[in-house]
Amino acid sequence: MVDINQEDILRLLAQRLASFANPELEITPDTNLITQLAIDSIKLLNLIMELEDHFDISIPLNALTDVVTVRDLANLVYKLKLDSK
Amino acid sequence: MSSTIIKLGDPLMQESGSQPSSKLSMAATPTINTLAQRLVEFDTLIDALEYAADGATGYNFYDAKGELRSVLSYNTLKHNALSAARRLSGLGLARGDRVALIADTSPEFIELFFACRYAGLVPFAMPIPVNLGSHAIYVRQLRSMLESGQASIAIANVDYFGFIEEAAEGLNIDSLQWIGTPGQLNKLSEVDTVFQPSLPEETAYLQFTSGSTRMPRGVVITEHALMCNLRGIVRNGLKVRATDRCASWLPFYHDMGLVGLVLSPMAAQLSVDYLATRDFAIRPLQWLKLISRNRCTIAFSQPFGLKLCSLRVRESDLKDLDLSCWRAAGIGAEMIRPEILRNFADKFSAAGFDERAFLPCYGLAESTLAVSFSNISQGVMSLRVDTKTLVEKKMAVRVQAEGRKFNEFVNCGRPLPGHTVKIVDENGQELPQMMVGSILVKGGSIMTGYFNNHEETAKTLKPGGWLDTGDIGFILDGDLYITGRRTDVIIVNGRNIRAQDIEELAEQQPEVRSREASAFGISGADDATIVVLVVECRLTSVEERQSLINRLQQMVYMAFGVNCLVELVPPHTLPRTSSGKLSRSAARQGFLQRAKMTDQISVAVHSGDR
Repeated sequence: MVDINQEDILRLLAQRLASFANPELEITPDTNLITQLAIDSIKLLNLIMELEDHFDISIPLNALTDVVTVRDLANLVYKLKLDSK
Repeated sequence: MSSTIIKLGDPLMQESGSQPSSKLSMAATPTINTLAQRLVEFDTLIDALEYAADGATGYNFYDAKGELRSVLSYNTLKHNALSAARRLSGLGLARGDRVALIADTSPEFIELFFACRYAGLVPFAMPIPVNLGSHAIYVRQLRSMLESGQASIAIANVDYFGFIEEAAEGLNIDSLQWIGTPGQLNKLSEVDTVFQPSLPEETAYLQFTSGSTRMPRGVVITEHALMCNLRGIVRNGLKVRATDRCASWLPFYHDMGLVGLVLSPMAAQLSVDYLATRDFAIRPLQWLKLISRNRCTIAFSQPFGLKLCSLRVRESDLKDLDLSCWRAAGIGAEMIRPEILRNFADKFSAAGFDERAFLPCYGLAESTLAVSFSNISQGVMSLRVDTKTLVEKKMAVRVQAEGRKFNEFVNCGRPLPGHTVKIVDENGQELPQMMVGSILVKGGSIMTGYFNNHEETAKTLKPGGWLDTGDIGFILDGDLYITGRRTDVIIVNGRNIRAQDIEELAEQQPEVRSREASAFGISGADDATIVVLVVECRLTSVEERQSLINRLQQMVYMAFGVNCLVELVPPHTLPRTSSGKLSRSAARQGFLQRAKMTDQISVAVHSGDR
C-alpha cells in the first residue's frame, strides 16, 4: 500500500474538479465547492463514487455536512483513508 | 434467539461490520411465507404486526456492495419493538406524546417506530443530512421539527446523534425530556406494563413535508386513515399476491418510502430488501441487482431515480441483470415525464424489463400516501393534448392534426375505493371533464390536519372534507392527469421544495427585508427545472452585491441541495397583489421578460449562476 498524503489528495481533487468547472477558474484549496464550482447533485454523486473507488473508502453523509471547500473535502478523504488502515 | 435479537438491534454491531460468524449464519427472509396471506385485514398497525410476526417474512438490509448486513424478521421486530416500548414506558410520557426519530435506512428506526405504537406514542421521522456544508441549516431544520412536533423524545443513531444534541440546545419548547441513541435506550430498564391497544381514531404518526427552518408542517395521520390507504395500495393498486417481494432505496423519512415500502409490505406480510438511499444514488446498479438476484416483484421510484439508473448503469452491466420478475414498477412523487420512462424501458428491456410493469400513481402525504393508481400490468398510458387550447382555454383536448404543438401527460388512473377526486376553478366551482383546475381529494385516507397549525390546516382542508392538494390537473373518462404544481412548489430532481422556504432563507440575510424575495422554478435546457430567486436589493457596491448573491446561493444549496439563480433587482420591482402579498407567478413572468429583453440583466443573471 502506497502512502498517501494530503498534497496528493488535493492534487487529484483539483484535477477531477477541473472537469466540472469553467476553464478560466483556477482551483485552489480554498475554492468553494458550492458557490464557485456549482456542484449539483449528480456531479456530487459522481465525485463521491470516484473518490470511494479510487481511495477504497466509504464517505458517510454526516461527514459531508462540514465540507464547503476543496481543502475540507481533501481533509475528509485523508482522515477516512487513515481510519481505514 | 435472544442473542441474535440483541445483535441485530445494536447499532454498533452494524457499523463494526464484518463479523464472519454472524455473517455466515445470516440469511434473508424468504419470499414465500409460512402463514396464510391476509391483505390489510387489520384495524391498526400493531394488529398487522402481531399477525405478520407469526410468519417467516420481514425486512433485509443490504450495504453499498450489495451484501446482506442485517435481517429483521417481523417476528424479531415484534419482540424488539415490545422491548423498546417497555423502556420508553419508563420515561413517564403521556399517551399521544411525540417521539422524533432520525430515519436512516436501519432496523433500529423501524423497531423504534413500532415501539412507539406499542407504547401509545406518536413517532415522526426526521431526515438525514444530504447536502454539502449543510451542518448549521440541518440543525435548524431538526430544531424546527422538534418544536413544531412538540417532541418529548428524540433518538438518532450514533452517526447523527451529534446533530440532535445541537438541535436540542436553545429549543423554544419545554416538552423534550430525553435524547439518546438506540444503544442508550437499550440501557434503560424495561418497565413491566400491559399496553393498551391503539384505537383506529388515534394518531398513528406525523409526516413532515417541508424543509422549512421556521414553519415545517407535520401531517397528522390516524390509524384509520393509514389502514384505509394501505388497503387501497395493497389490494387495489398493487393487487398483491403471496409470491410478491419488494425492494426499496426510498428514504424512510418520505411518505413513499415509509408508507409505501415499509408499512404496506408488512401489512401484507411481504419480505422487503433495502438499500440505503445514499448507496442507491451513488451506485444505482445495486438496486437493480437486488431486484434481479432476489426476484423482487415490487419496487417504486421517483422518475429521477429511474433517470439515475439510465444515466449511470453501463451497457456491460446489463447482461448480469434479469429484471423479468419486476411486475410493479411504481412511479410517483413528482410529475411524470414519459420520456424518462421510455429511456429507462429502452435501456433495460435488454435485461428483461417489461415496460408494462410501469405503474404510474398519484398521491401526497396529506392523503397518507396514495390517491390514485393506474391499472396494474398496463404500463404507461399517456395523452397528447393541444398546447394552444391548454394555455388559452385551460382545456385538455387530444391533439388532432400532425405538426401541432402538444403537451404529453401521463394517466395516473382512478382514485382508490372510498376516495373521490374533483377538479375546481379558482372559486371552488367544480369543473367538467377535460377542464384544467385544482385537484381536490376526499376519502378515508385524508389527514386530520397539520399538527398544532390551524392556519395551514384551514388553508388545505376545505369544507365538506375536501383536501386541496396544491396540484393542477384534469379528469378524462374518470382517469386523473396531473399537469403541474401551483407556483408555490418547485420540483427539482425529484425533490419538492416549497418556494416559501427558499424566500424565508433569503429573508434571514441582514440585507433582505421581509417580503422582498420571490422564488420560483423555470424550465431550462432539456426540461430540467432551474430554481430562481429574485431579491429586491438596495446595495450599490459590486462587492457587496456579489457577496449577497454568493451567500444566498450557498444557503439555498446547503438547505435544499440545489443550485439557484439569484437576480438582484431594485426595490419595488417585484409585483404585489392588492393586499400587498408578493405574486410568484407575476414575479416569474417579470423575470422571464427581463431575461429575454435586456442583455445586461441576462448577463448579470448568468454571472450569478456560476
